[in-house]
Amino acid sequence: MAEPRTSFRRSPLFHRRPLEGEAGAVRIAERPFLGKFILRADAQAASDRLRAALGLGLPSEPLMSASQGDISFLWLGPDEWMLVTAQAEAKERASTARGVLVGVHHQLADVSDYYTIIEVAGPRARELLMKLTTLDVHPRVFRGGMVAGSMFGRANAFLWLPLAARDANAFNLFVRWSMADYLWCLIADAGREWGVPEETPIKGETLTIG
Amino acid sequence: MFLIRCPWCGERDVSDFSYGGEAHIARPADSDAMSDSAWADYVFLRTNPKGVHAERWNHQAGCRRWFNMLRNTATDDILAVYKMGETPPQVSANLPATPSGEAAIGSGNDAAKVMTTEEGRGEGGGK
Repeated sequence: MAEPRTSFRRSPLFHRRPLEGEAGAVRIAERPFLGKFILRADAQAASDRLRAALGLGLPSEPLMSASQGDISFLWLGPDEWMLVTAQAEAKERASTARGVLVGVHHQLADVSDYYTIIEVAGPRARELLMKLTTLDVHPRVFRGGMVAGSMFGRANAFLWLPLAARDANAFNLFVRWSMADYLWCLIADAGREWGVPEETPIKGETLTIG
Repeated sequence: MFLIRCPWCGERDVSDFSYGGEAHIARPADSDAMSDSAWADYVFLRTNPKGVHAERWNHQAGCRRWFNMLRNTATDDILAVYKMGETPPQVSANLPATPSGEAAIGSGNDAAKVMTTEEGRGEGGGK
């Protein structure tokens, strides 16, 4: 390449434009670069300290999340949570959390670039997800604030329905970087029946890195 | 669908889970002093029962936690699910009759069962 390279941050789905079905039946978009941290700790020991420092404690029930402003804790396991936060404050909030957890046996790992989030929203979002997973996503079972990991097609992902979302059906799928494009294509394909258009990636089918 | 109740996540499809072999096999503390055959027993030999079997499962696609299960290997009924470190609950299982009279251990020979029900055919009957 002749022109000088400038450094830039590239999200896993930078080559995909947001898609929308007919009359907004489903909307698919990436939410790139959110700060994501895996926290392993004892819930009782960590929750109060985090609440004092970040204004938000850990969710007390399995499969649930807790949100306050743009900070969320997602339940991933009995001693494991994901801290999701806005990109700009991510570093600062992680170091705040690290600070208050000194003396508590814990681990806080930055996985911001390990996962990306695909948002599937709109009135047909649940039906679209039903085509991809064995999880029960009926509103009677999968309520606002819930988090659950399962297989979506052949990709392992965590499904989260934020409680305070603009859209009551704005599902967030946390998927690993290397599987993100696969899952994106699978979701877009599942949305065809509601008018999600066929799409060629930006810069064509050949992925150019640089 | 074959559903398994994860102690943390509730009922999920079997495709979420991975099998981890027989449960409650403790690693010998004095492996240096063991004979080769005793070590081979520990590494390779499993009970392989027909009936109630204690086994480990991992909810790989969900919470990624290990748990124990009591399963009837003859019917695939899941009799109990309990967390790691807990003692297995007392359960009983109904075993289907075996027309060919195979041993309670190591029977997977369905062909033998079929052949004995059709009288006078072949020599492969399982008696």
